[in-house]
Amino acid sequence: MTASRQGAPGFSLSRLADVILPKLVLAPTVLACLVGFYVFIGWTAWLSFTESRLLPRYEWAGFVQYVELFGNERWWGAMQNLGIFGGLFILVSLALGLLMAVLLDQKIRFEGAIRTLYLYPMALSFIVTGTAWKWILNPGLGLEKMAHDWGFTGVTFDWIINPDFAIYTVVIAGVWQSSGFVMALFLAGLRGVDDSIIKAAQMDGASLPTIYTRIIIPSLRPVFLSAFMILAHIAVKSFDLVMALTGGGPGFATDLPSIFMYQHGFTRGQLGLGAASAMMMLFTACAVVMPLLYSELRRERRG
Amino acid sequence: MGALSIRNVKKSFGNTHILKGIDLEIEKGQFLILVGPSGCGKSTLLNMIAGLDDITSGEIAIGDRVVNKLSPKDRDIAMVFQSYALYPNMTVRKNIAFGLDIRKVPKPEQEEIIARVAKTLQIEHLLDRKPMQLSGGQRQRVAMGRALARNPTLFLFDEPLSNLDAKLRVEMRSEIKLLHQRLGTTIVYVTHDQIEAMTLGDRIAVMKDGEVRQFGSPQQIYDAPADLYVAGFIGSPSMNFIPVQLREEDGHAVVELDNGRAVQKVRLSPISDSQRAFVGKQVVLGIRPEQLTDPESAHSEHGNLQTLQATVAITEPTGPDTLVTVTFNGIKTVARCHPRAAGAPGQQVELTLDPTKALLFDPTSEKRLA
Ligand SMILES: Nc1ncnc2c1ncn2[C@@H]1O[C@H](COP(=O)(O)OP(=O)(O)O)[C@@H](O)[C@H]1O
Ligand SMILES: [Mg+2]
Repeated sequence: MTASRQGAPGFSLSRLADVILPKLVLAPTVLACLVGFYVFIGWTAWLSFTESRLLPRYEWAGFVQYVELFGNERWWGAMQNLGIFGGLFILVSLALGLLMAVLLDQKIRFEGAIRTLYLYPMALSFIVTGTAWKWILNPGLGLEKMAHDWGFTGVTFDWIINPDFAIYTVVIAGVWQSSGFVMALFLAGLRGVDDSIIKAAQMDGASLPTIYTRIIIPSLRPVFLSAFMILAHIAVKSFDLVMALTGGGPGFATDLPSIFMYQHGFTRGQLGLGAASAMMMLFTACAVVMPLLYSELRRERRG
Repeated sequence: MGALSIRNVKKSFGNTHILKGIDLEIEKGQFLILVGPSGCGKSTLLNMIAGLDDITSGEIAIGDRVVNKLSPKDRDIAMVFQSYALYPNMTVRKNIAFGLDIRKVPKPEQEEIIARVAKTLQIEHLLDRKPMQLSGGQRQRVAMGRALARNPTLFLFDEPLSNLDAKLRVEMRSEIKLLHQRLGTTIVYVTHDQIEAMTLGDRIAVMKDGEVRQFGSPQQIYDAPADLYVAGFIGSPSMNFIPVQLREEDGHAVVELDNGRAVQKVRLSPISDSQRAFVGKQVVLGIRPEQLTDPESAHSEHGNLQTLQATVAITEPTGPDTLVTVTFNGIKTVARCHPRAAGAPGQQVELTLDPTKALLFDPTSEKRLA
């Protein structure tokens, strides 16, 4: 009797709840993700195929915006800057982060304090970093003035107002902000390495540098990948840092695709062109990240 | 001059004294076991032999070279770790070759060594895999292969089998023994498992709290343990310790065992001088379960077996024997009986005791009264 009562409607109801409840709980997130992400990507994609200027228009116009974009010298300058900034920013952050992590891994004193110190920049927003470095690098205010005040009047450090070097100041500020975080990633990876592996390598006769270069660092491959992904996406979406530091100048010397997109889309009444540049940024990011993800997933499946 | 000499070696971390003066010496080709409970300093001692930890005081010599100041790579030793410590980013082949590579062994020779080692350990089919893709037992073999490839004068093993399941452990144990017999290399082997210690070792050092409690052959340690700790640690099930009062009769040591109904007199071996000093005092009688058995299974080289009556409390069949728990002088005592003679709980059984094998210990110093 009880069994049949449990078996029929009550049972199916709880089954129903089992099926529906998780979906119900996840629904807001999924919905927000769908709308916030894919709907707007779709919308931007659509706008990039229209002649929208100040306001969105939805008549199909083919590839005109892309044609205009590819003929735009400022766009190629921005892309080139992104290449220089992104490449150097990722490379230097990885190298510096790894170096700091390896040094910090030598069981030194005050490790906790130093680690926190290295991590602090990450707690600042890029606006603050950009503004602070704008002052530090300003020849009349910062490092150069300090050197002059100390009597080293021959010192010139005016990269930030030199169109040929301004992009490197963005790299400096970006690296300062992010390398501490990269260090934390690597340090966690290094701490995960079994102590006896190092002992075994010592018994095999390997020196400490050999142990790091041939065993420990190669086994940090997944950390490299994560760090690269994070740095790459910071580089591609870099906007606030440059706005605060140089505002894209002098001239267009530190212009980046994100600034190009923002200015055309929102301040210059070229919504269609802005949308086209946004789509190109998306494709660039995909072109970098997809092969990496794909090869890593394949490695994992192979075991 | 032995193959390995450890002379009054001490180790302290700050104010904690981990090793309190270790003295050990073994000959070339011997298999030394360091056995003791977790935390007694076995790994620390092994790491000091390896050169991975420095020596606070004392001297370690391998062959006739004092190695205190030598770095691990110059000591001509190889080590197998409990966690295997394989290089995760390298294939099995590269793992084995790494040490050879560092030592600049020419490639063709490396290939030869890898082939030989892989054949010895039957890991030829695994050479191109990464450690991640191996089972525990396979990793164990690779770790041994890496040590073998170097052909050192001394092998160190730190609990190499403790991460394996029971069946594999027994298999690998006999393989290690076979390997030792074939290669004849000197081995220092750390374990907390007394069965591993007994089955593998030529010489066993039983350690406790940073001291060697006894150093000797497995049989010496089994038959004549130096103190209560060693007696209880070696052997499974452990030795029974029964508090008794010692008496002397016609030059023999005599004790009394109370089974709860009657007090029975037990005549042991002729009394020794050190035992005579304890006549009239409390001592601890040590009897191994297999020396307390049913009359049918009993045998003695000397013939004068002592018969005891006891009441069965619990029986635990192990297959070939049944462990029978009885009570003497209020202490649970285990006897190893033939399954047919084991009786049932509550029943009265007759047990025989081999008086020549019974041991007496000083309850305060815990030393055996020889
Ligand atoms: N670097 C260290 N600093 C302080 N104490 C240590 C250190 N290494 C080991 N010890 C202590 O030394 C004792 C012996 O450790 P170990 O040799 O690993 O024991 P085991 O016999 O289990 O191998 C333990 O109590 C451990 O806590
Ligand atoms: Mg240990």
